[in-house]
Amino acid sequence: MGTTHPVTPMIALARAALREPFSRRAREELLYCLVGVLVGLAILAVIVALLVPGTARSVARAGAIVAVLLPLTLATGMARRLGAAHRRLAERLLGERIPSPPPLGPGKGLLGLGDGPSWRAVAYTLLKPPIAVAELYAVFLWVDGLANLTYPFWWGLFRNHPPGVRLSPVLVGTPFPGRVFHVGTYPGTFLAFAVGAAMVLAAPWVTRAVVAADRRLLRGLLGPGRLAERVRDLEQTRALAVDDSAALLRQVERDLHDGAQIRLATLAMHLGLAKEKLGDGGDPLDVTGARELVDAAHRSAKDALAELRDLARGIHPPVLDNGLADALATLAVRSAIPVELATDIPARPTPAIETIAYFCAAELLANAAKHSLADRIGLQATGRDGMLLLSVTDDGAGGADPQGSGLSGLAQRVSTVDGRLEIASPPGGPTRVTVELPLRA
Amino acid sequence: MRVVIAEDAALMREGLIRLLEDRGHQVCAAVADGDALLAAVAEHGPDIAVVDIRMPPTHTDEGLRAALELRRRHPGTGVLVFSQYIETRYAAQLLEGGAAGVGYLLKDRVADVAEFADALVRVAAGGTALDPEVVGQLLGAGRHAHGLAALTPREREVLALMAEGRSNAGIAAALVVSGGAVEKHVASIFGKLGLPPSEGDNRRVLAVLRYLGS
Repeated sequence: MGTTHPVTPMIALARAALREPFSRRAREELLYCLVGVLVGLAILAVIVALLVPGTARSVARAGAIVAVLLPLTLATGMARRLGAAHRRLAERLLGERIPSPPPLGPGKGLLGLGDGPSWRAVAYTLLKPPIAVAELYAVFLWVDGLANLTYPFWWGLFRNHPPGVRLSPVLVGTPFPGRVFHVGTYPGTFLAFAVGAAMVLAAPWVTRAVVAADRRLLRGLLGPGRLAERVRDLEQTRALAVDDSAALLRQVERDLHDGAQIRLATLAMHLGLAKEKLGDGGDPLDVTGARELVDAAHRSAKDALAELRDLARGIHPPVLDNGLADALATLAVRSAIPVELATDIPARPTPAIETIAYFCAAELLANAAKHSLADRIGLQATGRDGMLLLSVTDDGAGGADPQGSGLSGLAQRVSTVDGRLEIASPPGGPTRVTVELPLRA
Repeated sequence: MRVVIAEDAALMREGLIRLLEDRGHQVCAAVADGDALLAAVAEHGPDIAVVDIRMPPTHTDEGLRAALELRRRHPGTGVLVFSQYIETRYAAQLLEGGAAGVGYLLKDRVADVAEFADALVRVAAGGTALDPEVVGQLLGAGRHAHGLAALTPREREVLALMAEGRSNAGIAAALVVSGGAVEKHVASIFGKLGLPPSEGDNRRVLAVLRYLGS
């Protein structure tokens, strides 16, 4: 009966409202606001130090400082780094993953002055202090609201003076900063409690609204940007994809040329020589020589087979036909360093994505085996929300170079399908490489 | 016969050395790139150099360039270029300075040991050895379809063998006919194609190739 009672939705709503201040999300967003206030303050302090007439002494001088500093910020990549810092903060504190803008391409004007993402990062940085004011208000709601809630509890402890002692009333904050009221009696503290309760109940929603506004700005200003940039991005990745496949074909040709073809030619030559030893063409019989040559030919044939097998596997590993999980398991077994494998891929990615993921895993495992000196490697593949997350971690020496040909090649390959590759490899380890791919491409 | 080999695939290099030494030739040097080849030829003055086209450092056509340089510096040394692919353009470049002491063969030809060794000896002696593939590509180009149509099937076979650089005796052996029969075929071909009769085998190769390539 209770479930059909008309009041139930109201109760549910009330419960939700009461629970909200204790939710994890509320905590995260409050922390983000707190940090946001500090960031805003820091930015403001820098701006003030540089531009306030007392320091800069004149408007002209302030203008000159802007005219020097702004291009410098853009040209040195400082602006992009600022943007990246903002993005990292949002990801760390809010779990808000904002894709980074495409890397600075050529032809972006003198010293990167035409670089949209840099300009937008500067814009966000300048907008941060006003947002920080709103964030400060959210923090204030929390702090002051919580403080108001305490009034009835300490009133008895601190206000137990003998009758007749005249005490000045106590200040109580309201949701309107600067507006206060006074409480002089114990029952009055319940009013303070009520106001506090209202503030604490409202605080998560206000915080959420402020953070939502900040999220919008973050996404709009620090993300990959609008259509034009998307087009440029696609052009770049298409060029990469074409180059990548041409390079692969060239590699296959090279491998065939230097491997199986040579072995087969040598094999044919040895058989030709052996035929002569066996008296072909009227020469005297030389069975020992012939046997030796047939042996060599036999070896060549086996080597050629092995090379062709490796080459075929390099083009498309047959085990991939059974799905990525099986293919990764095969890779894990073949690794020289023990691999702890965890796969959870409920929806099967498209073949192109599986192939890229497989080759990333293969390359990363090979890298770890070659360079990391690790004792164990963790290999995880998880599919969720339309994305495939592949991560390879090791407890080795760290210091992997993202610009190295192997890793940058992988990053290129991954970016052809709008994926991302992230590397965290401080000197001394551990190394963690994360590859994020869409399930369909 | 004294030979210098330039081939970067160790397996093939060893095989060639074995093949040549088996037949009583002397391999003075076996190197793996173009510069080393030029140095080795300058040092040993061999009768012939066997040169792979694709070698380090660029793995494109350094062997061919080294071969052309050899032709310029040591006109008396035969050059047999061999490779896993046949490019008629490479053949044309090699033949630019004349067909004497030039060979261009597919690597696969080492399978027929006797023929390969025969081609080597021919080139070392100042003759020509062009891969049937080169000749086939020229014949198949179809630019002289009507001229070639006038030839009998046997004459076409003889033409192809001539273009490969074989002597009348070589052609006779390959087709298992008498030398006289070959001579008759050759005269007939030259007549039908309107080619001037030429003396040496090399000139004959060039005449035929010029006809096919023009």
